[in-house]
Amino acid sequence: MTEHLIDPIPWLIVLPLAWAAATFLLGPRRGARLAIAGLGGQLLLALLLAAQLLTEGAQLHAVGGWDAPLGIELVADGLSVVMLLLTQSVTLSLAIYARAYFAQTGQGAAAIWFWPLTGFLLAGMNALLLSADLFNLYVTLELVSLAAVALVAAGGGRAQVTAALHYLLVSLAASGTYLVGVALIYGVYGSVSIATLTPLVQASTSPAIWLAAGLMALGLMAKSALFPFHFWLPPAHGGAPAPVSALLSALVVKAAFYLVLRLTLTVFAPLAEAGADLLGLLGAVAILWGSWQALRATHLKTLVAWSTVAQLGYLFLIFPLLAPDGLALQAGTMQAVAHGLAKAAMFTAVGVLVLSTGRDTLDGLAGVAGRVPLTLFAFALSGVTLMGLPPSGGFLAKWLLIDAALRQGKWGWAALVIIGGLLAAAYVFRVLRQAFLLAPETVRFHSVPRSLEWVAFGLAVASILLGLRGMELIRLLGIEFAP
Amino acid sequence: MSLIFDTLLVATLLWSAWRSLATSDLVHAVVMFIVFGLLMSLAWARLGAPDIALAEAAIGAGLTGALLLDALRVSNQTAQPGSLAKIPALQRMAVLLISTVLAIGLIIAVLYAPLPSIQLPSMVEANMAQSGVTHTVTAVLLNFRGYDTLLEVAVLLLALLGMLAVAPARPVSVSHVPIDPVLATLARLLVPLMILTACYLLWAGDHRPGGAFQAAAVLAAAGVLLHLAGLLQAWIRPGQLLRLGLSAGFVLFLSLAAILLTEGALLRYPPVWAGALILLIEAGLTLSLSLILAGLFLLLSGRRGVP
Repeated sequence: MTEHLIDPIPWLIVLPLAWAAATFLLGPRRGARLAIAGLGGQLLLALLLAAQLLTEGAQLHAVGGWDAPLGIELVADGLSVVMLLLTQSVTLSLAIYARAYFAQTGQGAAAIWFWPLTGFLLAGMNALLLSADLFNLYVTLELVSLAAVALVAAGGGRAQVTAALHYLLVSLAASGTYLVGVALIYGVYGSVSIATLTPLVQASTSPAIWLAAGLMALGLMAKSALFPFHFWLPPAHGGAPAPVSALLSALVVKAAFYLVLRLTLTVFAPLAEAGADLLGLLGAVAILWGSWQALRATHLKTLVAWSTVAQLGYLFLIFPLLAPDGLALQAGTMQAVAHGLAKAAMFTAVGVLVLSTGRDTLDGLAGVAGRVPLTLFAFALSGVTLMGLPPSGGFLAKWLLIDAALRQGKWGWAALVIIGGLLAAAYVFRVLRQAFLLAPETVRFHSVPRSLEWVAFGLAVASILLGLRGMELIRLLGIEFAP
Repeated sequence: MSLIFDTLLVATLLWSAWRSLATSDLVHAVVMFIVFGLLMSLAWARLGAPDIALAEAAIGAGLTGALLLDALRVSNQTAQPGSLAKIPALQRMAVLLISTVLAIGLIIAVLYAPLPSIQLPSMVEANMAQSGVTHTVTAVLLNFRGYDTLLEVAVLLLALLGMLAVAPARPVSVSHVPIDPVLATLARLLVPLMILTACYLLWAGDHRPGGAFQAAAVLAAAGVLLHLAGLLQAWIRPGQLLRLGLSAGFVLFLSLAAILLTEGALLRYPPVWAGALILLIEAGLTLSLSLILAGLFLLLSGRRGVP
């Protein structure tokens, strides 16, 4: 084992936990600067980890010095590190945005415990992306879900708390089915370590493993809001304050998808083929249904939330296409990163639009083109990524997906990707068209801090530039863990 | 003899679960839920898991029951007396069908499960000498899988934080609970005994069932009892000192985990110090977890009557 001055794997989990506790100790509404400093440190740690991977290959950290199966192992391979980089960079941008946003909106009740909740959320995300232990993953899922629910509910009115409560109930039931699956696996194989289990399941499958895989997949599908479990998402993501919606839509739902992908590639690899077509089919329905609802939405944030339902569908399209050539895996990861950046940009932009017009309706948008042009440009750029036009990251993702489908002669999936792109174009242009209408004389606009506009713009530009620098990420993604 | 007892236990367990679900009277449902929790704790004891039995009785039945009863009282004050809306027959059938299929699936899976090829208990036994404690459950919770526990403590702190975020304190005067003389005398007698029990459980965790979670649950119950007897005011908001108390155990645990990185891995105890460090962590956790668990009740109670 090579000695490093600092081991980024444990620090990526310790650091957010530390600033979460510290901002709680500081008291209500305090700790923004500490959180931003902590997130900056986390981004550096993630970059350091990426550099280590590129020079030395995948990294392992046995917590407590106990190897699996007795202890818990943390593993950083290409897939983990790409997701870690996305998580730290999006959250750092959103933290800067949230600080200005809450200052502008008069420090409402939502801001009281925003920073410690975000800290615990991030600790849970990082721990989830690094864990190689099925039970430990359950604990990280709990951390992520509870923090996400609290962020949705915080300081909200009746509608928002109801949405959060639905989210909580779905999430708890989903955690429950996941945990039953883990218990079954432990009962049959005697271990919860992914590295230990993978060859054991490869060697022999029993009825229990099928039931366990089904239950765990069901729970994770509900947590990632895959059709038909999407019903909790639009009210929860559409009702929360803009920085929270961005955090949840860009990152939190992807955590559950990441776990489905991780388990499909490891423990459940021998069973994966049986469920792959179903996952792909549900993804297809999600794309069509989510886009259709986004086309009908009358409220801006609801429209963007339905767009998340549709865009998550693409992630699940990769399962029927997973093959040794790795194209579908690259497509899925690229889509997760591109959508993460673009959706964070879109929700932050919408946050600015709502602050500027004082309304959340599509009709109220008339005239914003002249008032907050930079924000509208950010919205359009993130829309370009969602549609999948070159040179955006979304284009690269869809290109890879279509390539994977055509190589296997599966034309249907390729056609669906193109139809989904057209539908995305339709709902994005609905917003843009309204924004360029002339405002009635009576409408008054509020001034919005420039920093909010620049964060939205920066995220949107990143989602476009990703398409140009995508090959670096794909190279990183290729680094697998070999025990 | 034990077969008759076990059969009876399983039957009453199922019966109490069914009664709790099927009744339309909320009070009855809550009472049956508490009964279910107590029976469940007996079942854990019969399965040879006294640590889980203790936790189930204290948290699953005790604290959750108290919270549910308190919620009922609040909803009775603000809304119509609690009774459940009738669930449509079609939904009932669907739930019943799903549950039955799942139950049959679980039974088949367990019946046909081969014996595991990996025996973790024997690995635990083999490494007990390095763990710093002699009770295997404590060795797993605080040493071999201490990282899980660290994150679980974060989950508990987060749960309280989430509750505070959803229901921020409003400047309302807390209605003073009238002191019930019988309950107050009982509380004055019981609370010192409960504190003693908690200290014993904390100390016992090193070599027999017990430990921080169980000790904290008993201390939290003492706090709830004092409040119900009118001897302890509800908490309005977590001030500086209370926040320190709520997070001290977690911060201590996290700091030690990070400091032990100098040993080469997160939370890697040097075998010589393992016992002392685990006791230190457990003492910190007992304090903070008891405040968190009591806080779930006392902070919510401070919000009574808020529309």
